[in-house]
Amino acid sequence: MREKETTLYLGPQHPGITGNMMVKLKVTGDTIVRAETHVGYLHRGFEKLMEVRNWMQVFPIVCRICVPEPDPNEENLARAIETLEGREVPERAQYIRVMVLELARLASYLLWFGGQSGSAGLYTMPQWSVGDRDYILDLFEELTGGRVYHMYIWAGGVRRDLPEGFADRVLRVMDYLEKRLKHYDNLMLDNSIFQKRAQGVGVIDREKALDWGIVGPPLRGCGFKHDVRIDDPYLVYDKLKFEVPTETGCDVWARALVRRREFEQSISIIRQVMEKMPGGDFYNKVPNPLHWKVPAGDVYVKTESARGEFGYYVVSDGSDKPRRVHVRGPAYVHGITLLEHLLQGANLADVSFIMNSLGTCPPEMER
Amino acid sequence: MEFSIKGMLNPLLALQQAGKRPHTIQFPFEEKKVAERYRGLHFNDIEACIGCGTCSTICQNEAIDMVEIHPGDSESAKPGDSGLRPRVDNGRCCWCALCVEVCPTGSLSLTSHYNYVSEDPDSFLWTPGVSNPEGRKELSFVSDTSHSLLDYARVPMRELEGKERIKSFAEVVLGYADEEAQKEAARCIGCSICTEVCPVHMHIPEYISAIEHGNNEDAIRIIYDNNPIGETCGKVCTRRCEEVCPLGARGEAIAIRWLKRYATEKAENADMIREIVNPEIKPPNGKKVGIIGAGPSGLTVAYYLALRGFDVTIYEAKAKAGGMIMYGIPKYRLPLDSLDKQVEYMQSIGVKIHFNTKVGEQISFSEIEKNHDAVFIGIGYEVPYTIGIDGENLENSIQAVNFLRDINADKHVDIGSRVAVIGGGNVAIDAARVSRRLGAEVTILYRRREEDMPADWEEIEGAKQEGVIIKTQAIPLNVVDDGSGRVKGIRYGNARMVTDEKGGRPRPELIEGDEHVLELDTIIGAIGQEADYSFIPEDLKEKIGFKSGRILTNEWQQTSVPHIFAGGDIVNRTADAISAVADGYKAVKGIEQFVFGK
Amino acid sequence: MSDNIQNLQKSLSERLPQCSVKIRKHGGVELNSSKENLVGVLAHLREHFGYRHLSHISCVDWLEQNQFELVYILWNYESRIQLFVKVRLARENGSGISIRHLWPQADTYEREIAEMYGLPFDGNENPRELILEDWDAMPPMRRDFDTRAYSKEAFYDRPGREDAKDVRSVISGRSGEEIPEIAIPYTRK
Repeated sequence: MREKETTLYLGPQHPGITGNMMVKLKVTGDTIVRAETHVGYLHRGFEKLMEVRNWMQVFPIVCRICVPEPDPNEENLARAIETLEGREVPERAQYIRVMVLELARLASYLLWFGGQSGSAGLYTMPQWSVGDRDYILDLFEELTGGRVYHMYIWAGGVRRDLPEGFADRVLRVMDYLEKRLKHYDNLMLDNSIFQKRAQGVGVIDREKALDWGIVGPPLRGCGFKHDVRIDDPYLVYDKLKFEVPTETGCDVWARALVRRREFEQSISIIRQVMEKMPGGDFYNKVPNPLHWKVPAGDVYVKTESARGEFGYYVVSDGSDKPRRVHVRGPAYVHGITLLEHLLQGANLADVSFIMNSLGTCPPEMER
Repeated sequence: MEFSIKGMLNPLLALQQAGKRPHTIQFPFEEKKVAERYRGLHFNDIEACIGCGTCSTICQNEAIDMVEIHPGDSESAKPGDSGLRPRVDNGRCCWCALCVEVCPTGSLSLTSHYNYVSEDPDSFLWTPGVSNPEGRKELSFVSDTSHSLLDYARVPMRELEGKERIKSFAEVVLGYADEEAQKEAARCIGCSICTEVCPVHMHIPEYISAIEHGNNEDAIRIIYDNNPIGETCGKVCTRRCEEVCPLGARGEAIAIRWLKRYATEKAENADMIREIVNPEIKPPNGKKVGIIGAGPSGLTVAYYLALRGFDVTIYEAKAKAGGMIMYGIPKYRLPLDSLDKQVEYMQSIGVKIHFNTKVGEQISFSEIEKNHDAVFIGIGYEVPYTIGIDGENLENSIQAVNFLRDINADKHVDIGSRVAVIGGGNVAIDAARVSRRLGAEVTILYRRREEDMPADWEEIEGAKQEGVIIKTQAIPLNVVDDGSGRVKGIRYGNARMVTDEKGGRPRPELIEGDEHVLELDTIIGAIGQEADYSFIPEDLKEKIGFKSGRILTNEWQQTSVPHIFAGGDIVNRTADAISAVADGYKAVKGIEQFVFGK
Repeated sequence: MSDNIQNLQKSLSERLPQCSVKIRKHGGVELNSSKENLVGVLAHLREHFGYRHLSHISCVDWLEQNQFELVYILWNYESRIQLFVKVRLARENGSGISIRHLWPQADTYEREIAEMYGLPFDGNENPRELILEDWDAMPPMRRDFDTRAYSKEAFYDRPGREDAKDVRSVISGRSGEEIPEIAIPYTRK
């Protein structure tokens, strides 16, 4: 007997991921026939808003494009402006930026640990990892004055210097997180149930991975050793030693292993940064924000965020406001073209699970 | 794959966590202590805030309004304060603290307070510092000039070296280059607080912004809107505007005067001014106004009345126009061609000036009265006060205003090689610096402390750089005669400062026995001037009201004799060019109202 | 690296004479193409120059010139040189040309540009709505779309803020200063 096709709507209230979006699913039984990503629930018109705000006023807007990991936005915007202006960034500021970006990656992966296992029904893990993430947020609070939205990296450098004794506290949190990884493994990655759920699920066609604009852990989970930090180094990443882990399974499991191993790499990067942290200025002051004009030109800058290549295309017409700020978040591709593709034939119970493995993040899809 | 033993047992290790101390704190019994630079709710130090509104301008959420805390605050506030204070809509705020980073006075901060709950959504509007006075004790994210987004350091003005200066009367200030001017202009926050203390209320933030954009011609047009001697003011203004500049609260005020100088100098000659300003000149209205004295007030009246279609004639006793700015200000501060250019421009739009025409000698006051619908008197304070000590009338004891006038008129004055100047105002400093240029060793004797000197601090600095010795707390006692009727020296006594019981400023008191003689060739007195009203007929003098040597007028510079107006030093007490311009500008409206009976 | 860029610029100029090719000030190489040549150029770059990764497609509204500019940002994982392909299109009644057969993810970009700029793509007709829903006003990312006017119309201001005052007006009101027309554009907003 031919089963009847049913339409299901997953979302839009946080469908197992951070943010509002909806996946419209055509299913027969619990097998998905077709999936359509629907966004628009989080559209705040930031890109338009930025065209009517001056260059300084843009700065507090961009962090809100990504809640779990706002810092690549700040860094991209700052670096785009600095490139257009030819503004030097003090070395100390560059090291501090790397530290912030890697702390943000850790915080983002901790949320992912929670989301990935939570969407598989392992509810202890989110409690742990979100709790542990708070230790990183404490560091951010101390450094920037804000826990989630840091508004810290701005054109010319960073906003404030490291507080007294900050390095020690960072290193203490690193030691703690390193110890916690063992517990995470016990609960999640060594767990047969999780393995069974993750292996062979959400498999990306390896041949297509490079052509489909897939980036970050999903790309590395297909065996491609591509990472913006290595391919197109920014800040002081070329002065730091770290590995780019890859896996060949192309599935949720491979992506989980990549993230798990990158977590350790980030800890190592932060330790190197704290050791090498140079003295000197942390800020090369920009002009009076009420009159600040950025020379005409266009630039595309990118960082390797926790979800992959995060890019900003910034155009200046030489005036006091940006002509165009266009944000390229990895989820724009992962959460729409790729997700719709991977969900075809997938099991209904795996939708959130696959979405999590791709790093789907609605706010960056619609800005 | 099959389930492995490890994969089944390892997750159970999570049970190890049971019994461990939790990481959470027991809210609400335990309050979380936030980080030192936490960005919580705002606090504003209401006393330190001057209501410049920069916080409101930068706020990208448009969350900050400038409001009156008490009704009428904006009307009753002191100059230098708009009377408004920021109010934050916490329903819109994102606590980015850009407002803190652009606060020029540093009054605005964020606090460690982050918990705010209310059932009333309108209570999210609150005025930091008023709604939370206790916030003062909770400051966390504060403004600091070292990370402020504002630039507190002025672009330095290039000047001739002190040693170089005293060789000639060349202008000391070299002026800003384009980039320097634009950089200095870019420091401005555009608040307009300065405009209120400017006697003529020049449109300062606007012309600075025009300069910043490289639109110098617009800047010139904006300056000429209410000041026809903008270039003079750009060089010698007493610039009260800079005293209230919010950036001055924690750094250096915008160099408003130098920016005005920069813009106006872009018009190199009278024709260029005419071409750039390109003023609308109204057709003749048949009304005639006579102006006595071609000083700043008279020129202002003449210029704006001429533009309005009046037939204006200035009667000037001397050979050149400008009054005290021509004859009182040394040429190293205000070169002759600069003033000539401005006067020539005014003549080009129809201002008539009769030079060498002293009222009371070449023409009578009554004749002027008879031939004009209104008369404006702007004769200035030209007659010096005497010091009031013995020996003052000796041959080479001279008066600063006369000395400066003679030098500016290119007359030779022999002052010898040792000069003392008595006084602490700008005239004293001018006389001292001119004497240095004539090759003399110069000492200024002043009764009080340096900080009490009425002279401009930049002038005092300039004098010192040029080698002028300033002897403060020195009271002149008498002039020492050389026996042949010439000055040999001055005897002065050192003083100590004593507090004034009546609450006035501290006054100097002679220290008994601490007397000295300074050997000299010339003494220059510079303790003040008064006006010469002898040209006004006695009967009219009685009708015009006077008070301590000054003519009384209403707010339109009108005297008790309705067709007679007055302005400048003979009316106001500030004795500077910009106040004279302001008087002139007000008189223009007064005369218009009077003549047309409005 | 600079040698590589120069070589790339040289060989691109030879192989794609229909485009102007220049080395960019801020890194990478830029090609300017006509709309007709665009698909061929992109396909050629992908097949023969190793530009497999389409990072981004952006649209910039040059209202003053009455043109839209599409910017295709490509990346070569081997040579590690960024490539920009730009094409200018008529702003009114113009259209782009779809490249979703080359890169499937281009579909999303084209949907968004069509919706936000009102620029349709030949070969991607009747795209699904992406962000907006039942929008029939001017496409909002166009430069002449007035966001403030729109939000004034679509939403209401919360009462309680009407007493806000402008510092400039308070000061000039108090001093009696009359700000002339010429100065008004320079007044702080």
